[in-house]
Parts: sequence; C-alpha cells; structure tokens
Amino acid sequence: MPALKNILKQENTRREVLVTSYVVPDAARCVQCGICSFNCPIGIDVRRHAWRGEPVKDSRCLTCGECVARCPRGVLRFERTNLFEPEKLDFRGLLEAAQQSLLVEHH
Amino acid sequence: MRHYVIIGSGPGGIAACEAIRRHDASGEIVVIGDEPYGYYSRPGLAYLLTGEISEKNLFPFSQEDYRHLGSKFLHGRANRIQPADHTVIVQNHTTHPVVYDRLLIATGSTAMRISNPGCELEGVVKLDNLDDARRIIKLARKAKTALVVGGGITALEIVEGLVSRGVKVHYFLRGDRYWSNVLDETESRVIEERLVDEGVHIHFHTELAEIIGNRGRVAGVKTTKGEMLKCDLVAVAIGVRPRKELAEASGLKTDRGVVVNDALQTSDADIFAAGDVAQVYDPLTGKSILDTLWAPARDQGYVAGLNMAGQTTFFHKEPAFNVTRLACLTTTIIGAVGRGDDPDLLGIARGDSETFRQLPDAIAAQSNFDVNRLRVLVGTSTLIGGIVMGDQTLSKAIQVIVANRVDITPIRQHLLTPGVPLGDLIADFWTRWKTTDASKQS
Repeated sequence: MPALKNILKQENTRREVLVTSYVVPDAARCVQCGICSFNCPIGIDVRRHAWRGEPVKDSRCLTCGECVARCPRGVLRFERTNLFEPEKLDFRGLLEAAQQSLLVEHH
Repeated sequence: MRHYVIIGSGPGGIAACEAIRRHDASGEIVVIGDEPYGYYSRPGLAYLLTGEISEKNLFPFSQEDYRHLGSKFLHGRANRIQPADHTVIVQNHTTHPVVYDRLLIATGSTAMRISNPGCELEGVVKLDNLDDARRIIKLARKAKTALVVGGGITALEIVEGLVSRGVKVHYFLRGDRYWSNVLDETESRVIEERLVDEGVHIHFHTELAEIIGNRGRVAGVKTTKGEMLKCDLVAVAIGVRPRKELAEASGLKTDRGVVVNDALQTSDADIFAAGDVAQVYDPLTGKSILDTLWAPARDQGYVAGLNMAGQTTFFHKEPAFNVTRLACLTTTIIGAVGRGDDPDLLGIARGDSETFRQLPDAIAAQSNFDVNRLRVLVGTSTLIGGIVMGDQTLSKAIQVIVANRVDITPIRQHLLTPGVPLGDLIADFWTRWKTTDASKQS
C-alpha cells in the first residue's frame, strides 16, 4: 500500500510542520495588501510582521495557515523552529530545518 | 534641528521616514502627498476590486504608527522646488513655502492616457490610485459589459476585478498573445486559457479606434477594423510613466526619470529621488533603468532616507524580481526572461521591470507541470532569469542563484537537455550550493 503510506506520511509531515513551525515572511515579495491580516481569525497583524521581515512569534497564533494559503504572492510559509529541541535552536539549525521542509514540500 | 521633506507617500516615502527616524530622533519630517489618503498599498487595489479586502485593509499604518514615526502629512501637490533657497511651493499652501534641508522626490509614476476619440467620456477608467478603484467599483454596480485594453499585470487586475463583480468582460489584445515581451508563448496561453475559463472574451489582433458615447457616457467602442462592440465601461492599462515633471520644472537632471547616483542623490546634492520616478544605475546591465516595483521603491526610499540623515549608504540594485497573480496563478518573474516589445504597452507596465526584457545570449530551458510552470534563462555560466508559475517552492532558490551569479556550469548541459525534470535538477543543485558554496561566502 505505498499510496496509503504516502498519504499518511504527508499528513504526518503536515501536522509536524503545524506544531513545530512559525509563519515566516519573505519581505521582498510582500506588497502590504493586507489579505493576511484581514483573514487572520484572531486578528494578528501578519502584514506588519511581513513589513519588518519578522516571523509571526505571537503566542496566540494558531498556525491555522489561513494567511499562508491566502497570500496572493506567496510571501508566507511555515518554517520549522526546533522549538522542542532548544539545544538545536541555532541559526544553522533553523536554516537546515527550513531547507528540509522545502524539500519535503517539493517531493 | 534638521528639516526633512518627502514628496510622495508611497512605500519609498514611508521607508525614507523610517530610515531618517532611526538616525535622527528630533528632526522634523514633512510628507507631502497629492492624494488625501496618505500611505496605502497600491498593489492592494487589485484585491479591493476582487472584493478580497475592504478599503480599510489597504492602510498598513495606524495613527499610532504615524505618531511613532513623528512625521507630519501635508495634503497638496508640490508645484515647484526652489533649490537655491531650499523651499518647496505646495498648491493651496503657496503663501508658506515648505523649508527643507534634505528633500526626497518619491512621486512615483502615473498611468498613461489614451487619446482616442471619446477618451474623455464618463465610464473610461484606469487603475492608478484609490479614487480610480472606487470609480471602477461604483461603475461595475450598473455596468453589464466592459472592455479592457492594454497589457501587463494591471490590465489583468482590472479584468479579474470586473469578472468577480459579475461584469461581462471583453479584452482587446493588439498582438496574438498576452504579455508577449515577458511571457513565452506557452505561458501566455496558460493565462489566456484561464481567462477564457473565467468567462473573459479575448479578442486578438484587435485595436481600439474610438469610444462611442451616449449623453456623455460610454455606450460602445469601434475597432480599427470597423467592428462595433456595445459596452458601458472602458478600462485602460497601457503602462505608466514616471512623474518627473516637478524635478524637470525645478532644473534637476532628468532623462526618462529623475537621474540619481548610487547614493540616490539627484544633480542637487540636497535632493534625493527614490522609487518609480528615479532612474537608477544597474550594475548588472551597466545601464541606468526604471523600475515600477514595490520592493525596490521601499529599498531605495530607505537608502535615500539614510543618506538624508547623514548615514552615507549606497544602493545596490538587485536583479529585477516581482511576484504577482495572473489569472489566479501566483507568478514570480526574476531577472531577464523575455524579449522584444509588447504592442499592448506603450511604456513600462506596473510590476514590470526593464531588465525583464533584456535578453542577452541565453537559451530558455523549460519544464511543464500542468499549471505549475518553471522557466529559466541559461547564460554562459549563470542563470540570468527565471519565471515560476504556480508552485513557488523554487522561486527563492532561482532568485538567489540569479542574484549571486552562481556558477551553474556543473548542471548547465543538463538544464538544456530537452525533457529534463528542471525542478528536481535546480532543487538538487540549490541544496548542494547552500550547504557548500553559500557557507563559504558568508
């Protein structure tokens, strides 16, 4: 059942990403249209984070993915943070995790 | 106390305020704008038209943010700069010229007009600012049929806005395909098919000759071939031009835009220019060029602001890079991807950059995945551009590879092999490069 295994793996990855990730903007792609802030169910000003190029580290963020999905210019993505492995919380680790998630998304 | 004056309240002007305030806590900053609304997201107007956001969402800054910036907004049109006595004359404030020590011209660009008979009729619109968007929304309430003429991103933004408001849309293209100087034929066809699926009637090889009115309102149009089309709205998006008149009238050096050096200084040392109006030197091509993009406007405004506050900084132009949505398909355009002239555009289209059209000795390699599409332009040893439609996973990678002129010799032959899985090839190369060469550079 390779197909089912694949689906489960995908679902597992998706959940893992949601639990261990922040929403991270790529400021250079953003034109401040405000669709992200408008669609945030709890009213986080995601657009402001994108202007400053800062990850959405708001503790209220549900990582629901509304902003990521609705951004018309692909500004936002989930990036793993190794939040649950603090000893690995360094820049290189973050970079590699991001790369990893990029690859996972790609395949 | 230093007096800073910024003409224009777009991203360039606002970024300049931020840069100045970072280094000068007490200087006076006055922003002069001829629109009453101050700073708002002009690209966001497309999503106001489709109804994805409301008007108040267009404004990224709150009153609190402006207080924090400590800038004053002056509504009015700057008529003249008098460099000799360091003053700006503002319409409706003529008795009190605004005094500056450092001045920024960030007046942006403006939509080009058509001159066809009937162009002054009510119901002929453009999409340049919030008032235009409001006008389109108001007219769309009653309009049954609309005609859109022009090319590039803005034309499609209007098309999609009208479609989502239930207006039947006809779209005239002078040539045989959409945005022919940036997109290749397959990419044009992808977009056109999606438009047709949305119910848009595309008329190829068709040119507007005359707009026919009835009691001062649009009633229809006549093409150059003499065909008639009934419609009650005509939207025009034939490109934009830099608003350089103020700089010209004030004796500053201008060419196609306001000419600046790499510190974004004009021919007068105390006057700077940034954004769509500035003509900036591009080290990649050795020419000085215009952009109509959000990110460079913001970056230039920031660098100009730093220089105005005495922090000498140089602007380094990155390869042109833009993300947009074409017929609901997220599309990233990086560096040089097309060639030639688009007969539907007289000037440069918004969201376009002149480097997108400079195609040196390069060969296009491409890969198709239904609506996800990737095209890169392969130079002798580097990638010189790329276009990513749909899945955006690789757009950052291609952007970095183009910007850093990464040597792609190891995969160059593979890239040019027909039928190669382009995405995988670039993803693998990118991963290897990031873990080896990139760390050496940093």
